Amino acid sequence: MIKKIVQVMTSFSIDHPRRTIGITLAVTLLFAWQFPRIMVDTDPKHMLPLTSPVRQYNDQVERDFALHPDVIALGIVNKRGIANKQTLSRIVELTRRIKQMPGVISRDVTSLSTIDNITSQTGELLVKPALDRVPESARELAAFRQALLENPLFINRIISPDGTATAIYVPIEQAANGKEIADQINKLLPQAFDDDQYYLAGDPVARDTFGTEMFRQMGLFSPLAGMVMALALWLMFHSLPLIAANMAVAMVSIIWCMGLLIGLGYPVHIMSSMSPVFLMAIATDSVHIFNEFAFRFSEVKDKRRAVLETMAVVADPVFYSDVTTAVGFAALATASIVPVKIFGLCVGFGTLVILLMSFTLVPAIMMLLREERIPRITHQTENGQKSRLADLGEFCIQHAKAIAIVGGLALLIALIGLSRIRVNNNMVHWFKSQSAVRTADRVMNAQLGGTSSGYLVVQGGREDIIKDPAMLRGIEGLQWELEKDPRVGKTFSVVDYVKRINRVLHDDNPAYDRIPDSVEAVGQYLFLFCMSAKPSDLDNVVDYPFRKANIFLQLKSWDAEVMAEVIRRTENYLAAYPLPDGAVVKPAGIAYFNLIWSNEVLWGMLESFLWGLVLVLILLVIQTRSLWWGLLTFLPLLFTIALIYGVVGLIGKDFDMPVAVLSTLSLGLAIDFAIHFVGRFHLHYAETSNLKESLIWTVTRPGKGIFLNGVLFALGFAVMIFADLTPYITVGVLMAAIMLLSALMSVIYLPGLIHLFQGILGLRRKG
Amino acid sequence: MQRWKWSLFLILILAVTGITAQAQEKEAATEIMQKKEQAFYYPGTDMQARVTMELVTAEGQKRLRVLSMLRKNDPMSMNQKYLLYFHEPGDVRRTAFLVWKYPGRDDDRWIFIPAVNMVRRVAAKDSRSSFVGSDFTYEDVSGRDVSADTHTLLKEEKLGNVDCYVIQSVPKTPADYIKKLTWVDKKTFLLLKEEYYDEQNTLARIFTADKIENIAVDGVAQGIPTVIRRTMKNVKSGHYTQTTFNSIAYNPGLEDEVFSERALQNPPQKWIK
Repeated sequence: MIKKIVQVMTSFSIDHPRRTIGITLAVTLLFAWQFPRIMVDTDPKHMLPLTSPVRQYNDQVERDFALHPDVIALGIVNKRGIANKQTLSRIVELTRRIKQMPGVISRDVTSLSTIDNITSQTGELLVKPALDRVPESARELAAFRQALLENPLFINRIISPDGTATAIYVPIEQAANGKEIADQINKLLPQAFDDDQYYLAGDPVARDTFGTEMFRQMGLFSPLAGMVMALALWLMFHSLPLIAANMAVAMVSIIWCMGLLIGLGYPVHIMSSMSPVFLMAIATDSVHIFNEFAFRFSEVKDKRRAVLETMAVVADPVFYSDVTTAVGFAALATASIVPVKIFGLCVGFGTLVILLMSFTLVPAIMMLLREERIPRITHQTENGQKSRLADLGEFCIQHAKAIAIVGGLALLIALIGLSRIRVNNNMVHWFKSQSAVRTADRVMNAQLGGTSSGYLVVQGGREDIIKDPAMLRGIEGLQWELEKDPRVGKTFSVVDYVKRINRVLHDDNPAYDRIPDSVEAVGQYLFLFCMSAKPSDLDNVVDYPFRKANIFLQLKSWDAEVMAEVIRRTENYLAAYPLPDGAVVKPAGIAYFNLIWSNEVLWGMLESFLWGLVLVLILLVIQTRSLWWGLLTFLPLLFTIALIYGVVGLIGKDFDMPVAVLSTLSLGLAIDFAIHFVGRFHLHYAETSNLKESLIWTVTRPGKGIFLNGVLFALGFAVMIFADLTPYITVGVLMAAIMLLSALMSVIYLPGLIHLFQGILGLRRKG
Repeated sequence: MQRWKWSLFLILILAVTGITAQAQEKEAATEIMQKKEQAFYYPGTDMQARVTMELVTAEGQKRLRVLSMLRKNDPMSMNQKYLLYFHEPGDVRRTAFLVWKYPGRDDDRWIFIPAVNMVRRVAAKDSRSSFVGSDFTYEDVSGRDVSADTHTLLKEEKLGNVDCYVIQSVPKTPADYIKKLTWVDKKTFLLLKEEYYDEQNTLARIFTADKIENIAVDGVAQGIPTVIRRTMKNVKSGHYTQTTFNSIAYNPGLEDEVFSERALQNPPQKWIK
């Protein structure tokens, strides 16, 4: 049935090449029409569906405590101390200007000039911004510095313990773009070279900078990869029309796939932004067709016959290799993460478009080639290549056992590496080590409490339970326990406010730096606090009925592992010292999101990937109509993946989102070569019934296509090593590696293994 | 030549009349604001009320504050004294707050904290900060010095069916707002509505007088018109505070001792029941 349709399409395209190209162009325009409606979404939170319990709970926490999910941190560092007239004046002015910016939630901008300091001066209770006026004299400056360092609420949050760093925390509206606001803030920063240094950090900056960069890099490297591939194609075929055809297939599939995605109203996510590069990679599959066509044409010297014969032999492998690739991606649809699903289906669709083009656009273009422009180069180099590849084939068959043992050893090492794989996602690490984003993050993590933030929400059973001194002591103990982890830079909660007020009320007597003994005292202290301070200060740490409390965490790393450790410590601590009234503690916030993300998204992708493997194996068994042949064809794929991820594990690279996405790609791509190899071997073996000759022929002729394809691909993606964002570098390196490895695996291992296991594979009887 | 001189003369005349007109307008606006201040914060010689404040989050969660408010005007000046005694929430009962207000300079404030039986002076550095966590500032509760802003009469218009002056006030020294529009009832000079614009030059808070009643008082035939329910809404956060004045009494005869630091710990029960 499918074969019939394929045949009909192919013969139509051969008979009406111009019309075929015309129709393709028209449909492509239709998809391209959708492009202006593009929307971008780089928020990792949106990876989880709106209805996911984690997201809903997080939204609830943000509402309960009037928290802002997106906060930019502007770090200001002065090695000689920030308590000098110039720096302080700049902080006042910067805060004022930042509060005026649209998109900034000005009422909750926190800096030295807005944060309330509660002090006691000559018996008078004083609540005012820490920096309500820039001190004039040296003595005033020293007193100001001392006042800051004496307030434990400030340490590591608004001032570093050594007094050399401070920060302005800028919450922004959810619709606002963090990078645009960061750029505006950048313009406000003094240009003069003096002691003040400024650093912009925080989740929205990283995320939106990444979003902007992502498109710049994709816009730069997709065409660059395309150009390198075109150049490589030129060196191989010396035929412009062939290059054009190859590129046309890639472009058509990219436009259809992205057009469909945009047209259906889905935002382009970090993952789907990589679709073009992936499709370009998959489209190189048509090299097999051109390679065969070039061989055929030099044999039969008749264009029409060459096209017909080419399409007849390559139809099966091309069909199955594209379908397995599509299945590999579509397997992502089993993931619970919406953007991952969409990405999988999107690239899966694009792959099917490539398949369609292979049977329509490609033969149509071949038909329109002028005969004198059909590649002759294959003819000239054929002998040289043939002998070299034939030697290789011979070598592999003769040393099959040794090669198999080497392979087994490599696999063993790979398994060790696989066991060491660390699933983690750290957005800051998506930027290069010397980039502004990462430098800012590093400096601020060294100086202050940390740029990554999370929450621990204490949920009591009844109203006003949080005011219970026993509850407060429980929270205090938990905070002490958490701060033992050096990666937890700062925790603060309602406890810190209560203790501060107790001490200040008692003339700054350190003996009173503790939780008072009665509910009334706690209630009245908090009442006193909100009599003067910003209401949000209290709202951020307790909910309205005083049933829940929020412990703020500042973490010095974006690694998911840090939050996982916080949760472990919390659980252990609570097991030993339970909170009163059966209160429970639940995590939330961005750091927690990253953890869930790592767990759910990445393990989810890993699971989908394994399902994909199974599906591909089933498909192979169906295609070859034999369990053993199916397994054999499957081997190079398994080998490639094991080796690559083994290396990832051995060198300690995180299994993060880009790597996870690649795993699915490797599935579809690495299998192609084996399918081509086994398919073509079968055809030739059926004709000649000579095992050894057939194997060497396969290594020589389709093997050439496989090598060309592999090298082409590796070259195209190698250019991404020069990208500014590490995920693209990872993609480039891994893709090139996957391609070269699976080409090698197919050409080196398959002949040896086929020779070695000819009995099981049912070849001996024929021979 | 002649024509040139005439034009110069004309321009001069126009400029002078323009400036004086503007000055007069400013004067008129300031006068309206002073009358508003008088009608809103100063009626009677003294006052007693039980006040309910409801703080409501954008999510609809509520906190309640119930307090007795006592006020006495200084007959010789614009100075006033306030005593705020809290009944609810339960754990803050007996917490009390004393304010001696002096327009033109920082107020004196004291607070009594019953749990530690302590009276503390509280510095009044920022009277623009929130009053007990509500959307009202201290100045919204006890009034703002009229001369702290530059006032301009923008227009006269109806608010509902009440004729109003609409006055724009711009603070002379930086405050939490850059501009305020005030709707003042032409007849009673009561404050009916305010709009506060923040540093982003967008609407941030809205005050509305929701319910007005005439409170009977000896010597005033139709009573004193009083805003007995008012709302301040933070447009940006969605949080709002509704304040209701129950059982207002004008001129109940509050003694000076009620407003002393000593009485703060133990206020006369008859005034705060």
